[in-house]
Amino acid sequence: MKLLPDEPLDVREVLRDLAHYRPRRRGWTWRRRVPDHALGPFVYRDASEDLTRSVPLAAAHAFGDIDPQSDLVITTEIASGRFEDDLRRMRMAAWHGADHIMVIRTTGQSHIDGLLEGTPEGVGGVPITRKQIRATRKALDAIEDEVGRPINFHSYVSGLAGPEMAVLFAEEGVNGAHQDPQYNLLYRNINLHRSFVDAAEAKTVLSDGGILQIDGAHNANATAKEAWKVTPELLVQHAINTAFSRGVGMPSDQIALSTVPPTAPPAPKLRLDLPYAIALREVFDGYRFRAQQNTRYIEADTRETTVTHVLDTLISRLTATDIQSTITPDEGRNIPWHYNNVAGLGTARQTLMGLDGLMDLVELRSEGPLREQAREIVERAVLFLEEILEMGGYATAVEAGQFVDSGYFPERRSDGITRDPESGVGAGTVVPREADYGAPVCSHFGANVYASREPKACSEYGGCTLCESEKIRYVDELDPEDNVEARLAAPLAERARGLLRPEVEKAGDGVVCVTLFVPERSQVAKEAALEMVRHMGLANPEVISERLLHPSEGSVFEVRGVFEHAMKIDQLEIREREEALPHDEIEAFARPREIHVVAATVGEDEHSVGLQEILDLKHGGIERYGFRCHALGTSVSLERLLDAAREHDASVVLISTMVTHHDVHKENMRRLHALAVERGVRDGLLLVSGGTQVSDELARECGMDAGFGRGTRGQDVASFLVRRLRGS
Amino acid sequence: MRLRRRPDDLAARGEHLRELSDEELHARFWQLAGDVVAPLLDEARTRTTPSIERSVLLRMGFSSVEAAELVTRMAERHLLGHGAGRLILELAQRRAIAVREAGQALLEGRYWEELTP
Repeated sequence: MKLLPDEPLDVREVLRDLAHYRPRRRGWTWRRRVPDHALGPFVYRDASEDLTRSVPLAAAHAFGDIDPQSDLVITTEIASGRFEDDLRRMRMAAWHGADHIMVIRTTGQSHIDGLLEGTPEGVGGVPITRKQIRATRKALDAIEDEVGRPINFHSYVSGLAGPEMAVLFAEEGVNGAHQDPQYNLLYRNINLHRSFVDAAEAKTVLSDGGILQIDGAHNANATAKEAWKVTPELLVQHAINTAFSRGVGMPSDQIALSTVPPTAPPAPKLRLDLPYAIALREVFDGYRFRAQQNTRYIEADTRETTVTHVLDTLISRLTATDIQSTITPDEGRNIPWHYNNVAGLGTARQTLMGLDGLMDLVELRSEGPLREQAREIVERAVLFLEEILEMGGYATAVEAGQFVDSGYFPERRSDGITRDPESGVGAGTVVPREADYGAPVCSHFGANVYASREPKACSEYGGCTLCESEKIRYVDELDPEDNVEARLAAPLAERARGLLRPEVEKAGDGVVCVTLFVPERSQVAKEAALEMVRHMGLANPEVISERLLHPSEGSVFEVRGVFEHAMKIDQLEIREREEALPHDEIEAFARPREIHVVAATVGEDEHSVGLQEILDLKHGGIERYGFRCHALGTSVSLERLLDAAREHDASVVLISTMVTHHDVHKENMRRLHALAVERGVRDGLLLVSGGTQVSDELARECGMDAGFGRGTRGQDVASFLVRRLRGS
Repeated sequence: MRLRRRPDDLAARGEHLRELSDEELHARFWQLAGDVVAPLLDEARTRTTPSIERSVLLRMGFSSVEAAELVTRMAERHLLGHGAGRLILELAQRRAIAVREAGQALLEGRYWEELTP
């Protein structure tokens, strides 16, 4: 399957012949660092190979549209409930720098004792099944070809079906997985013995499959009342999963610790979070670090969340990180919207590139509070481990509520999670292996009469699915109604009819978000905001963010609503943008003709940066092609501009209106046109205007020949001039 | 019994750690972590679960639906301790049939009497 950038993803093509689709590789892929990577005007210290296709950061247009990629793998977590919609989100995410796509499971899947099949719809996540994985892997294979970088696909090997999930992931080319028996036990109330016995088998399969394991310790951050006090325990939770994994035989470079800076401003974030981050990296030297962003203190304000995540990413750079995970800034108020996945990715890549080479410039102090606090956290963690053993071991400690207590250990508040080792979901299902126990397959842990068979445990019947992939049994759909084909019928029919609706999560959801400031006390303002949105014609309005600006002066609201109409594409008036001419073609026309251009910022406007970028040689402006430019400066009168045009025998007049009030920019354009007509020179002049509020349509309405808005390059203006002057 | 509240007694409780260098403290940390997980690893080596047994059958070429049914019926007969995969492989070998064929026969209700070790 091949994707073309100007064509939407064809989900039917993804679903075609899945029974025979095989993943192209197994195991995890890291980015490839490029030392001293020269890109545009800069040399990067912490960069990796470029993408072949991407959407650069917005400011990149000032630097030749470069899109440097950091050396860290960047994660985005995706799950709308419908995997077919998630595939489009994954594609957009990949274009914005994601190369680790984590698929969240549907609510309750961890308590299902076995694998699900088919493509039922999920809630708060996707039911992870062979068909869903295979379709996703197939789509990601095509997406990674489109952007030019391998994409790691990731989900969860936890719950009651861990070993089966691990086998499924190894068979289907899943590259990363959460696996941590403590997560089962503490947060899913799955029986302790079942969790650890299953985990050993699952980890063995992950190890042999080269799948990167990420642990679950970060959940303690997300649930603790005062997340910074759980730091000693976090070291312990990481250690239990790590030591258990090593005991099973997992190599250290496949073990990644999931770590979150625990606090958010107004807490003194770096002072609390940095010593912890340092302590963790020192104790776990040799393992991988997946730096997650903070979710514990996210509220509805996406801007505030974004700032916290910038600081989290700063901590990643000040310490050591292999994977920078991102959290969508809207996670505090709804199931993430797809453009917020892209926003979260933007936060990470913008911050990481802005911090490029940071550790060449600064170093962390080797004495003082940073060292003292880091040491103290490790001492507290050692005491935590000592007490587990004093109590009689892990099971006794869990039963007594040693874990996720809100005290700063050894302080204890007596509010930890307690679990009876002999109860919980799946209790009583663990069976002792008899002396003749056998499992004639590869990647099996523990006592096994086939373990020593040569050449492999699975040789006696021609090989297991991990060796002979054609033996994998593919199940398509089990439910004739709840499946992807049934769900696709409506959106594909709309597409075929050329209909278009806005969306944030699922095809055709129609959800939009309106921002309103209402100048009243908050109770009144909130009701007014909802009523205003109803009057805009949006259904089911709901305030998703409310920020008080002043108790009596007003509040700003973000209100979500549903736009219930579909637009017909063929009834839209679409002006296709003209492609810019090649540089040499412009120059070949312009240079020999000595075309004079007079330019100025008009009216009472002192901004001249935009105009300089369009004109100046050193900014890549039109002078480079041989246009003779006469820049008259700022706040120039229209009369003087036309006088100058006459003096220089110019054939082009460029005006810039960067910032306007009360539509002064429109008025200037109209007057320039009228004045040129009045003086009888309009036919011999090309009148062009530019500015952030200017569009081509608007400029033409106001009598100009063309208008150029935000993001315009000298090449675009020059292309227009050449086309008009040569009459093509 | 739930643990009781306790003030932060780090100064007294951690006194024996003060003299350790950072390296010694880290070594102690990992020694203790190893001690905590050792019994859990021993248990995992010598126990199995329905999920492990289903995962073995998946690897032997059965679908998740088939594996679930086979393991449920074996658990009812208290056979999982011998290994679902071993029971099916040995059945196939005794009868000189393919592994999948042996599994399907069991799903049809045949040969169960032969599985009792």
